[in-house]
Amino acid sequence: MGSQMHINRDDLVGRDHFIACPSCDHLADLSSMAEGDRASCSHCGHLLCVLHRAGLNRVMAWSSSALIFLLLACSFPFLSFESSGLKNVMTLPMTVVRLYQQDMPDLAILIAGFIILIPAMVLLLLFNLATTLAYGRYNPWTNVMCRFVFQLQGWSMVEVFFIGVLISLVKLGKTATIVTGLSFWAYAAFSICFILAITGFDRLQAWRRIGELQEAG
Amino acid sequence: MSASTARALDLVSCHSCMKLTEQDLQVCPRCGSDLHPRKADSLNRTMALLITSCLLYIPANLLPIMVTEQFGRTSENTIISGVLVLIKNGSIPIAAIIFFASVVIPLGKLAILFYLCWTVKFGSKISSRQRTLTYRVTETVGKWSMIDVFVVAILAALVHLGGILSVHPGEAGLAFAGVVVLTMLAAKSFDPRLIWDRDVLTNE
Repeated sequence: MGSQMHINRDDLVGRDHFIACPSCDHLADLSSMAEGDRASCSHCGHLLCVLHRAGLNRVMAWSSSALIFLLLACSFPFLSFESSGLKNVMTLPMTVVRLYQQDMPDLAILIAGFIILIPAMVLLLLFNLATTLAYGRYNPWTNVMCRFVFQLQGWSMVEVFFIGVLISLVKLGKTATIVTGLSFWAYAAFSICFILAITGFDRLQAWRRIGELQEAG
Repeated sequence: MSASTARALDLVSCHSCMKLTEQDLQVCPRCGSDLHPRKADSLNRTMALLITSCLLYIPANLLPIMVTEQFGRTSENTIISGVLVLIKNGSIPIAAIIFFASVVIPLGKLAILFYLCWTVKFGSKISSRQRTLTYRVTETVGKWSMIDVFVVAILAALVHLGGILSVHPGEAGLAFAGVVVLTMLAAKSFDPRLIWDRDVLTNE
């Protein structure tokens, strides 16, 4: 995949199976790619494109499940802490609210964005895009949403937060009783669905589909 | 070698949708993004963000990141002293994870990005492929340094038993989150294709 070639410049323009690697600018020919294939750059090894089988349907499924799990994760007890006869139950939004109450509104907003707001926005956009593209209902907003979803993606820290939760569990586990609540498991399921949803939506595959719809409409 | 890059053929690859188009176009015909052959003002922006995050890394380490209040006694911990307490209590694996996430990753990231900017200007014996790989790793690993800030936020929400035992977030949290955000922005504004442009120049 992505073999090097000597080509006539005029053959390239307007032919969507030629792309330039975003890491090293070398040209790659993706014309021999079939569904299920992945292509890496032959010069720098950067992953260029994955043509997912039934990609859009999967993205719809994973993003809607992730949204439901996120809603559950925000509504029930996340963890509870018990020491010297006293007990404190914490929900997921409490991590943000407590920071806000402790006079750190800026950090509260940042963390709320990283673990709840940005992932939720990414999922809503992904679900919307996947349905629009799968049913061929292209409109000018599709472009804006697709550009935005890839920019936002890099700022979600769902998996990092989950490892943070596990570390807190181990850190406190020695001195106090920690009980995991329903939301803890919902957030775990949310993390998995979220990652499957974003990795299932390939940049090039999505934009090519948009290109097809633009030409058709 | 030089003939197989987009730039050598006067073509531009859209940074947003990867469409290959003529260099004289201003806006991508497929997705409507502005077209640039390389990320705009890449080296200057990256350097500016790196220097800012270096400065912010100082308060992030000197100020307390977590304040523990137990029976009226308060004890403050910075990132490093927190790690030392964990080692003293025998939680070596957690101490290692926190140390790696809050010290090794951010410092390593700063060093690598400074080095990459330097090699773009002055060249390097390390191959372009290797340096691009290093860049990709730095870019993906960056957000993991937020772990310590998240742990503090979780502990502050969870350990809250009034005067008996409670944990409060310290000022270093914001400074450290700032370091993470700025280094992530620095990594995003660095253009790895600049590493390869130098190869093309020297081969000609």
